[in-house]
Amino acid sequence: MSAQGNGAVRFDGAADNRRSGGVSKETINAIVVFALSIVLILGSRFVSPALGSWSQVLTVLTLASFLIVVSFGQGLVVMIGGLDLSIPAVITLGGVLTAGWVGAGNAGAWYLLPAILALCGLVGAFNGFGVTVLRIPPFIMTMATSIILASAALGYTSGTPRGASPEALTVLMKTSWLGVPAVVFFVVLFVLAGWALQSRTVFGRRLYAVGANPDAARVAGVSVGAASTLAYVASAVCAGFVGMMLVGYANGATLRMGDSYMLPSIAAVVIGGSSILGGSGSFVGTVGGAILLTTLGTVIAAIGLEQGWRTVIEGGIIVAALFFLREELFARLRRPGRS
Amino acid sequence: MSAVGTVHEGAGSRRGGIGRALTGGAAIVTLLYLVLYLLYALWEPRALSAYTFTSLVNNSAPLAIAAAGETLVVLSRGFDLSVAGVISLTNVFMAVWPLEGPGGALLSLLGCCAIGAVVGAVNGWLVAVLRLQTIAATLGTMIVCQGLALVVLDAPGGTVADWVSYELTDSLFGIVPIAGLVVLAVALVWLVLLRTNTGVGLYAVGADEQAAMLSGVSVRRIRFVAFMGAGILYGVAGFMLSAQTATGNPNAGAPLLMLVFAAVALGGTSLSGGRGGMIGSIVGAGTLMLLQKVLFSGGVSSFYTGIFQGFVLIAAILFGRAVPRLFGNGAQR
Amino acid sequence: MVGELADALVVEGIAKAYGATVALERVDLSLRAGEVHALLGENGAGKSTLVKILSGVVRPDAGRMTLAGAAFAPHALLDSRAAGVATAFQELSLLPNLTVAENLMMPRMPRGALGLASARATRAAARDILARYGLSRIDAAEKVGALALAERQRLEIVRAMEHASKVLVLDEPTAALAEVEWLFGLVRRVTARGVAVLYISHRLAEVRALCARATVLRNGRSIATVDLSGASDADIFEMMVGRRVRGERAVRARPAADAPAVIALDRLSGGSLREVSLTLGKGEVLGIAALEGQGQRDLFRILAGLARPSGGTIRIDGAATSLRNPRAALKAGGGLAYVPEERKTEGILSSLTAAGNITLPVAGRIARGGLIWKGLEQGAARRVSGHVDLAERYLGFPVGDLSGGNQQKALLARTLLTGARTLLLFDPTRGVDVGTKQSIYAAIRRFADDGGSVLFYSSELPEVIDLADRCLVLYGGRVFAEFAGDELEEHRLVGALVGHAAGPGKEGADAARGAAR
Repeated sequence: MSAQGNGAVRFDGAADNRRSGGVSKETINAIVVFALSIVLILGSRFVSPALGSWSQVLTVLTLASFLIVVSFGQGLVVMIGGLDLSIPAVITLGGVLTAGWVGAGNAGAWYLLPAILALCGLVGAFNGFGVTVLRIPPFIMTMATSIILASAALGYTSGTPRGASPEALTVLMKTSWLGVPAVVFFVVLFVLAGWALQSRTVFGRRLYAVGANPDAARVAGVSVGAASTLAYVASAVCAGFVGMMLVGYANGATLRMGDSYMLPSIAAVVIGGSSILGGSGSFVGTVGGAILLTTLGTVIAAIGLEQGWRTVIEGGIIVAALFFLREELFARLRRPGRS
Repeated sequence: MSAVGTVHEGAGSRRGGIGRALTGGAAIVTLLYLVLYLLYALWEPRALSAYTFTSLVNNSAPLAIAAAGETLVVLSRGFDLSVAGVISLTNVFMAVWPLEGPGGALLSLLGCCAIGAVVGAVNGWLVAVLRLQTIAATLGTMIVCQGLALVVLDAPGGTVADWVSYELTDSLFGIVPIAGLVVLAVALVWLVLLRTNTGVGLYAVGADEQAAMLSGVSVRRIRFVAFMGAGILYGVAGFMLSAQTATGNPNAGAPLLMLVFAAVALGGTSLSGGRGGMIGSIVGAGTLMLLQKVLFSGGVSSFYTGIFQGFVLIAAILFGRAVPRLFGNGAQR
Repeated sequence: MVGELADALVVEGIAKAYGATVALERVDLSLRAGEVHALLGENGAGKSTLVKILSGVVRPDAGRMTLAGAAFAPHALLDSRAAGVATAFQELSLLPNLTVAENLMMPRMPRGALGLASARATRAAARDILARYGLSRIDAAEKVGALALAERQRLEIVRAMEHASKVLVLDEPTAALAEVEWLFGLVRRVTARGVAVLYISHRLAEVRALCARATVLRNGRSIATVDLSGASDADIFEMMVGRRVRGERAVRARPAADAPAVIALDRLSGGSLREVSLTLGKGEVLGIAALEGQGQRDLFRILAGLARPSGGTIRIDGAATSLRNPRAALKAGGGLAYVPEERKTEGILSSLTAAGNITLPVAGRIARGGLIWKGLEQGAARRVSGHVDLAERYLGFPVGDLSGGNQQKALLARTLLTGARTLLLFDPTRGVDVGTKQSIYAAIRRFADDGGSVLFYSSELPEVIDLADRCLVLYGGRVFAEFAGDELEEHRLVGALVGHAAGPGKEGADAARGAAR
């Protein structure tokens, strides 16, 4: 039933003293997340004098760069109300192929690296096809892709990936300019571009529309299937690129190199204020989430807490973030046709 | 639109018994199982021995019970990822605190069930009371459980009590696998549940939450019970997995996550809720494990089983959706 | 209809708000035991909310209810049921995947041996119920999903009657029923037992046949309770909408009769639409009038590209077209732009600004260098916001924060901005205030005066009469009657709406009422 009629008239009378373009919930969330990261870094001085320094900030940013890039892709998929569980497998795919096909030196890197990214994009297209055309629930489709890819990578490498990092990637991951790691410059550019793509482009606007209300988006002439598929493609390309970055960082690939990025990628997006149901969130918040998680990781490692507690905290943060964002969830759950 | 028309509408829409039986996901997956077994027997003559059968049942039991648990949540239109966490947690629990003898085994089983029940209750609270989205909420509890498993046991190791690992993988009179009896017990509990108001309510909530509520069903209670029951079954699955592996691994549950959903989908349970049942999931789990054996005996490298499993999962979902469409919308349990 | 006329249910001062939206402001109502009491009101008047409160599904913010002298404050559906109040819901609360028997027994199945629910006992109990209500033809073991809609509606009614020992609420019980004698017989039977019936229907003829008194709701308030025998249709209409029936309409220059057809449908079928042929001329405003569920929804969804026809052809600007999706519809010929029925679920993107909503279909066109600049977006939105009287200051607001009227203006502005030469408007003024209605009418007229064509459906007859150059009445999925120019009169349309041949004037409507009785 709709009874906007009477509620509406009242609002019209009172609307004038409201300003448009005020601080949105997403902005507040991003500020809170960044503030928490800074507090955590400063506070970590009390834990260990080695922490809380400028060099620790640079370390955190370097480590966070991987998570920031994958989380951008995950964020786009979450934006349309999906979930990409194939990210770790695609990271591994990108890494294994980079180390194996290109290897040390730079020979052929100029066409092989884009070809590898294109292959990863194809994997994303496969996800998109399954979700939009076959209408398989996103998390199941991407999980299936993940297991297929992992198995293929295992067979391709016979269990032990070979090869080393191409020169270009080593430069990106290992050199510093003006005392700042090159990758930090790269990440800053990436964040700017990612933010613009998500929040300022036609593509981003369409993803947003699809996530917020697919039926309304369709009525408005948005091609829901194409936009969704592109989100999965973007996510896979980002994951493939992170595979390359990891190869540059560690000078080689392993079959489990992507595993530690799946849960944090989702956590970063959720902590960053995106609704897991889609249609909200900004990349800036996600970046904050990624930095906060990475900072937390280094602090926990410094304290000497084991991996287990770190994982527990990660899970707890996801649940807590859901809990605090749930009013919004409430409103959306009332909308029919979504489960 | 005439009065005559209205009297006869509805007549003739009743499907014949055969079409109805065919639409049963459980029936189709059972047929598939038998065909695969035949194939297996052709390639591997030992397949018909009691030993091979027992080991196959032992392999399948943990997945079958976990899938049975997941079915409860899927039927009520939800997804429960915590299955992986609970299995890991109960597995390390079994390996770090082994209790010998039948009494010890019973205590361990109760402990596993209690762990599952607690996790299920938390999930139920998050989903039924706070109304969080099921995937996200259970993802959180899964991660927490995985973490706790790492805290209890940070690397694979430990030993499960001998009594558990020997007796539960044995067979009665050399022919009836004990693990099979456990699975049978789960199936019996399911058949009883089907004959309760909660069982009917589960299907009601899964089909249409709003209509179920307007029919007087307590949606909140049903959802809570579904998650709680699922958690307990994951505990039993972890118990059976420990009996089979005889050792602990903090990541024991992770590889099962996808297989659980594959088994549920293969068993004919609709991922959008309200249609399907546990029996199908149990046979579906058996089929997936049998498929691995068949592929292996067919000469496919074990590296590549994942490729088959992934495509089987996708095919299972498409198949499960196409079947009721072909035969009318029969809702089988 | 005899029985002591004691008050069975008294509702006093009930109010309910959802956030900022007030659904019920103040409702007073009293039902006498053994009477059939009608509840009348437009869409959005608050009927559904009142039904939910009576059923225990929603709790009121204020007010109190008394059932047979005792306080009545149900917290759940089962509380209401236990107190003897049961509802047959408009949206049908049946589960398609369960059997007829299980649905009838919901939520507690009869027990057999071992204390377990027994399928046999459930079936037996259900058969017994079905037999008592003359529905023995329905197989208790059949899944409800396999039943025709009309049978489902009957089951919904039967289930409510089974539990209604004091009050029975019937919310649009005849929406899917072709004949009403079965229902009316049963209603007379329960009232003879002293049960009070609250009867909600849009069909006034039915209401007059069955009810003695009616309470009218308007904008969440109970306006009055009237004796139906003493109130004319016009009186009731006035209470429902707050103004009198008008005889004449605003005059608009009619488009030339030989204007080229922008839409030509030939024997179009799909959903409940049956072989509908129609043409929409350039510059024409064509109204569709119909009772709920006569195929109008399918007609609009097919033209908007949201549903596929099962037969027939669609010609847009003379070329045969298949409208595969809304994007294709926007590009077909001069373009078809659609304002959907459900503003919240198919229309707005609530957290996006009004400007963002308006420019969404043309986002690609207004972007510079691939980026959407706020200034450009606002500028584009401003070009059309004036046409629909949408205040510019609202353009920067998330559209979900705006009133329903402004949301509707934004949606209309969106269709204007697409540049489409044909608008498909499904109930464009549903749930909006009077001022917004006037703005929307003006925008539609201006669009048509500029050579655009408009196909619109409205649930309000005066709107059709005011706006349309020509009007088609859909009945049973077919074009039942056509009115143009001076023939467009409310009482003529009323007759056609209920499926009575377009008789000359008032007699037609009366005859229709007689037929329904």
